[in-house]
Formats: sequence, structure tokens, C-alpha cells
Amino acid sequence: MKKFLGIVSVLLMITACTSGDDSNDTTEENQNPDSTSFDRSAMLANWADGIIIPGYVDFNQKVEVLELATANFVSSPDDLSEVRKAWTEAYTVWQRVSMFEIGPAEVVDLRLNVNIYPTNIDLLESNVTNGDYNLALASNRAAKGFPAIDYLLYGLGEDDAEILAVYTGSNAALYRQYLSDIVVDIKNLSSEVLSQWQGDYRDTFVNNDGASATASVDRFVNDYIFYFEKFLRAGKMGIPGGVFSGNVEPNNLETLYEGTLSKSLFLEGLDASQDFFNGVSYNGTSQGESLNTYLVTLNSVKNGVALHSIINESFDTTRASVNSLESFKTELENTPPINFLEAYDDVQRIVPLLKVDMVSAMSIRIDFADADGD
Amino acid sequence: MLFKSSLNNNLMYKKCIPLFVLSILGLTSCENDDSGNTITDNTITVPATYSFERDGSSTVSFSGQTERILMAEELITAMIDFDNTDTQALLDMFANENTPFTNEDLNASSKSVKSKVAASTDYFSNAAATSATIRTDFETWMMAQVSEVFPARNTVATEGISGQIADGASTRYVNAKGFEYNQLVNKGLIGGLMLDQALNNYLSISVLDEGTNREDNDIDLVEDGKSYTTMEHKWDEAFGYVFGTAPDAANAIVTLGDDDSFLNKYIGRVEGDEDFTGIAQEIFDAFKRGRAAIVAKNYTVRDAQAAILREKLSEVIAIRAVYYLQQGKLAIEAGNFGTAFHDLSEGYGFIYSLQFTRNIDTNTSYFSKSEVDKYIATLSNNNGLWDVTPETLDMMSTTIADRFDFTIEQAQN
Repeated sequence: MKKFLGIVSVLLMITACTSGDDSNDTTEENQNPDSTSFDRSAMLANWADGIIIPGYVDFNQKVEVLELATANFVSSPDDLSEVRKAWTEAYTVWQRVSMFEIGPAEVVDLRLNVNIYPTNIDLLESNVTNGDYNLALASNRAAKGFPAIDYLLYGLGEDDAEILAVYTGSNAALYRQYLSDIVVDIKNLSSEVLSQWQGDYRDTFVNNDGASATASVDRFVNDYIFYFEKFLRAGKMGIPGGVFSGNVEPNNLETLYEGTLSKSLFLEGLDASQDFFNGVSYNGTSQGESLNTYLVTLNSVKNGVALHSIINESFDTTRASVNSLESFKTELENTPPINFLEAYDDVQRIVPLLKVDMVSAMSIRIDFADADGD
Repeated sequence: MLFKSSLNNNLMYKKCIPLFVLSILGLTSCENDDSGNTITDNTITVPATYSFERDGSSTVSFSGQTERILMAEELITAMIDFDNTDTQALLDMFANENTPFTNEDLNASSKSVKSKVAASTDYFSNAAATSATIRTDFETWMMAQVSEVFPARNTVATEGISGQIADGASTRYVNAKGFEYNQLVNKGLIGGLMLDQALNNYLSISVLDEGTNREDNDIDLVEDGKSYTTMEHKWDEAFGYVFGTAPDAANAIVTLGDDDSFLNKYIGRVEGDEDFTGIAQEIFDAFKRGRAAIVAKNYTVRDAQAAILREKLSEVIAIRAVYYLQQGKLAIEAGNFGTAFHDLSEGYGFIYSLQFTRNIDTNTSYFSKSEVDKYIATLSNNNGLWDVTPETLDMMSTTIADRFDFTIEQAQN
């Protein structure tokens, strides 16, 4: 009997001593989670075949259109509209695939190669005028990709005439060459990643369907949350809004030179994040196994409400509050930018839902921590 | 010694295993918790001083906290340096931009005061807008000091007029409502920086146990190139906001009260009130015991110490708020406006700091931001401190004391 009581108290302690949350929230997992009742493999297949590969196909096509538009522009630089449109469309689709930094994209560091912002103008200008640059060098990452194109298409002069003048002036050939080269660089990287996914990597990814720190689900859920927290939340809103430093930094907005797109690029990334959570296919016409259906299967409940519903509502609330903002640039002119920061707070509220509640229900370990210490 | 970087890729935990191990550890520690303050668990060795070592090297580190306290010291000194300060200098000191400090080490530091004001994980990670509003309050006070008070340096302060006013042998420089902006910044930072960071960030379970901190601490997995585990370091950082400028941190209790112009100083003041004598030792001991519990991997005891610290340090703020309200009341009754304004400016800062306190029963502050804002609006109404009545000050004192475990009589001397 004594032994029995001991076992019971150990079991009680599991609850008492591991609910390490200061808040009054409770996350109740179902009493006897049976990980085999959810088909992780089907979810991985839906991710790969329904979302990731079609996403890269579309991204690759948009980059090809940009490549063509760039070629047309540099051969007769008299109108910026076509190449700007192609850049906007490719940059927008990039927001759909940015989170997939696993496997081929991780190997080539796709995200760091195509979207470091703000671009380093001094480095870029020195590359242009020297004409002798190796875009494969890590040190050149801050002078290429979409943000560098932003500068080259919108930031070289006060108005379109001044910008066009650069492409016909004394260094015209150098600027034309650099613009073409950095577009081709994106193209090479994106087609490399796509071909790997269309090749062996798809099966490697889908077949690694276990439940361990190195399994595809565990790894990619980490990558997904990392993207959401660092690149969507912090990169696009938190850092420019001065959340961490206390200083508003409008020069750290995405599309600094174009000036208005940063809000819609954020929203595209938010939509992509929610669609991924719900397993919505890239073309938007169907839905498959997903983090959402996984939580449904686990019957995860937080404060009496289904966790998957809480997460979707939080995404919807966030979208509404960001939608109601003026352009990010305009919002950041307020001191302090309260509306912008309140919308940021909505974005932030999604983080613990994913990073604490969801992963705990799925028994997935978070393998990264905030580096924001002393 | 294990290093995180070399292990990261090889560690493959299944969550159920550490949970099971923890639950057994938890069983031991939860039982001990019932026995009161004395540590009966032999596995926890509480040292006589705040000294902890691993393989012969100290594992205690809080240089970032020391730097921020020193930055805040330069800032509040500059606020009354009429001859050498301008608005930009104050804002630069707040944000550590453009090498604003006389201490070159601070200029070289990557830290700033501003980035950690109203920045705790528990209170502000979902409240960036509120955080920005609070940071703006501090900047507004700094700018107003230069724009309102500096030009009135040699003006006699009267109702609605900024200037100087005698407080016994001292001269106070106040705004048109009788407030000393330097005191608002000074006492406001005690809550906004030190208390919030210590109680709601570094002593928070969500920070101490973030990511793999527990698993790493369980196997003594130290940070890359360091002698401490992440969890040990977080705890030390809380300690640093209280004792970070003590000449001998291990024996920081010896110089308590003399080491800074912020939390350390006012723990010392409360300790000096015989109604609260012993509180300093309780705080120091809780820091030591909690740190020793981390070394012993006893997280229940650790969290019990965090609760003590939250309670005691919050109480320090409330006691000082009531103390200054009462001192101000006495001075107003005696017609000593200069003295009253000085006390009530300090009181304003401590009331402002109440929004960063931590009630361990509710896990929120003892006074909400809107309650604090209401008090401040009351003090600032019309001609501000020139108009404030003893009844108002008594009412505020009563409300504050009632939410804590002390009386006005205990706090007022």
C-alpha cells in the first residue's frame, strides 16, 4: 500500500512540479496521448506536395519573369514599370516560401541570400563601381537579393527620371550589369532549391516521419516557429517599431526605397503562416493534414477552448489589426507608434500559442532560445 | 566540462524521459517546501556568501546589470547638471548612443537603459505599445527638465511657475506643478528597470526555464565559453539589478544601501526602519538559496525563493511610496513646500514603480497601470503639488498599504 501511494504521489508531482507556467493559463493535453493516432507522414506529404513544392514552383516562375523583365529593362532602360511589377510579384511570392528554410534552402542559406534588409548601399555601390564582385561570397549577402533590387529600382534618385538617368549615365553599363547579376543570382538559388525538392529531397523529407528531435515534423515545426518569431514578427515589425531597442527604426523596414509594400509583404507572410498551419494547399483549393488537424486529433484544449480554434482566431485578429494600419512607414512617424505597436502585440500573442501550447501538445522540443540576454 | 555548442546536434531527448526524472526530483523538493524556511534537503548547500563555483571558477556573472545601473547613475546626475546638459545628451544616455557617458566602459557597452525599461518577458512581451508609452514617459521627463526647469534655474518657483525652492539647506528645482523631473526618472527607473527586469524577467519561470534551460542545467551544460549554465546566469542577472554595484558582490549585504541610487539604496532605507529590520537579509538569503537550489537542480525551492523575492522587493516599493506620501503630508501641514515637493516627487516615482511590482497570488502587479495613471493624474491636477491636500495623500497611503502586509504607521518613519 505504501508503495502504491508513492507511485500515486509521483504521478501527482508530474502535474504539480512541471506545469512551469507563471500564468493562470492551463494547457490540458489529452490524458493518454497516442502519437500513432495522428499520421505524421500524411502531414509531411501534404506539406511537401501541397504547399512547399508548388510554392517553390511559383516562386521560381515569378523569378523567371523578373529575370526576363530585367533583361528587357537593361537592354532599353526607358521604363521602370515592368521590372518593378515583376520584382513586386516575386518579392510577394517570396513571403510564401521564406519559412521553408529546411533541407535545400537551409543548405544554400536561401533566406540570407535573397532577403537581408536594409541593403548595404556602400557595399553595393562599391561592388557596382569596381565591377569585380563574387556574389557567392557570404560578405556580399547584404548587397544583393530583393532589398538590393529595391534600392536599384527605387532608391537611385529622387524620381523616376533620375533613376533612369543612372542606367543611361556614365556608369550605366555597370549598374545594368549588377542589376542583371543579382537577379540571376536569385534565379540560380531558387532553381537549385526547387530542383532538389523535385528530386530526392521530397522523399527524404516525407519519409523522416518519426517523432524525435531530428524527425522532419519536429525540425520543421521549429523552423516554422523560428520564421514566425524572428523574421515575420521581429524582422518586419518589432525591429522597425523599436520594440527591442526602444528606438523606432523606419530604415529597417522591408522595401525601404519602394516605401509602401512593407505592410502587404507582412500580411502575405502572415497569410502564409496561417495557411501553413491549416494545411491549405498552395493554390488555395484544398486542405490536408496539418498542424491544425494534428491538434484536433490530440484534442488539445486551452482554458476550455480548442487550441486550434484559439490559434486561428489569433491569426484572424492579428490580420484585422495589421490591415487597419496605414502604411508601416506612416505609422512609424508617430511617437510612440502606438497603433503599430498594438498590432505588433497581436502578432506576438500568436508566438506562445505556437511555441508553448502547440509544441507541448505535440511533444516537440523547441531547439532555439531568445538570444536577447546580457 | 560540457559545452553547449558541441552537444547541441547530438542531443536527442524524448520529452517523456526528463519529465519523469524531474517528477522524482520534484517529489523530494515539494515535500521539503512544507518544512518552512529552513532547508532540510541535504542536496542544497547554501553558501554563507553569494559565491558559486564550477571546477574552481566562479559561475556568478552580472556585468550587464552593473553597466545599466552605472548608466542610470550618470543619467540622473546629468539631469541636474545645468551647465553641461542638453536634451540630446539625456536622450543619448538613456539609449546609449553617440558615446554619451564619462565612463568609457559604458560607451563601449552594447547595453542601454532604455532597451530594458518596461521590457520584461512576463509583463511586456505582449505589450509593446504599453512599453513604448512608458519609455516615452521617461523621455518626456528628461526633455521637460531641459526645456522647463533649466531656463528657470534662477527663478523662484511659485504656483504655475517652474523654478527653485528651498528644502531646508537644500535647493530643489521643480516644474510649474512642483515636481522634480530628476526624481521621477530616478525613482521611476527603480520600478521600470530594476524591479521589472528582476521580478518579471529574470526570476520568471518562463525565462529561467526557457527552451532547454532545465535540461541543460540538469546536466551542467554550460554556455559556450562560459562557466555558468543559462539558468544560473539568469538568476545572477536578477541579483545584479539589486546588488550589481556592490564592491564585494559575494558579501553585498554588508554595503547594502550605499551601492547605488536605486533599488539597492531603498532596500537599505527600508531595512533602516526598525519595523522592517531583517528584510535585507531575507532578500539576500533568498537570492543565495535560490541560486544554490539551481546548482542542486531543485526547482521547487528555486521558485519558492523567487516568490519571496517578488513579495519582499514589491513591498520595498510600496513602503517607500507610503513613506514619501506621509513625509510630504507632514511637510505640507507644516507649510514646508520645498520639503514636501521633494518628498512627493520621490513618492510619485515610487507610485509609478508600483505598476512593475509582482503579486505572487495573481501574477500581476499590485497596482495596474491605469490605477497608477489615476494616482499620478490626481497628484498632477491643476497646480499639482501646490494644491494637493493631506486628505488625498492619506487616502493614497491607505490604499497602497492595504494591499500589502504593512501599515501606514510602520512605513512612515
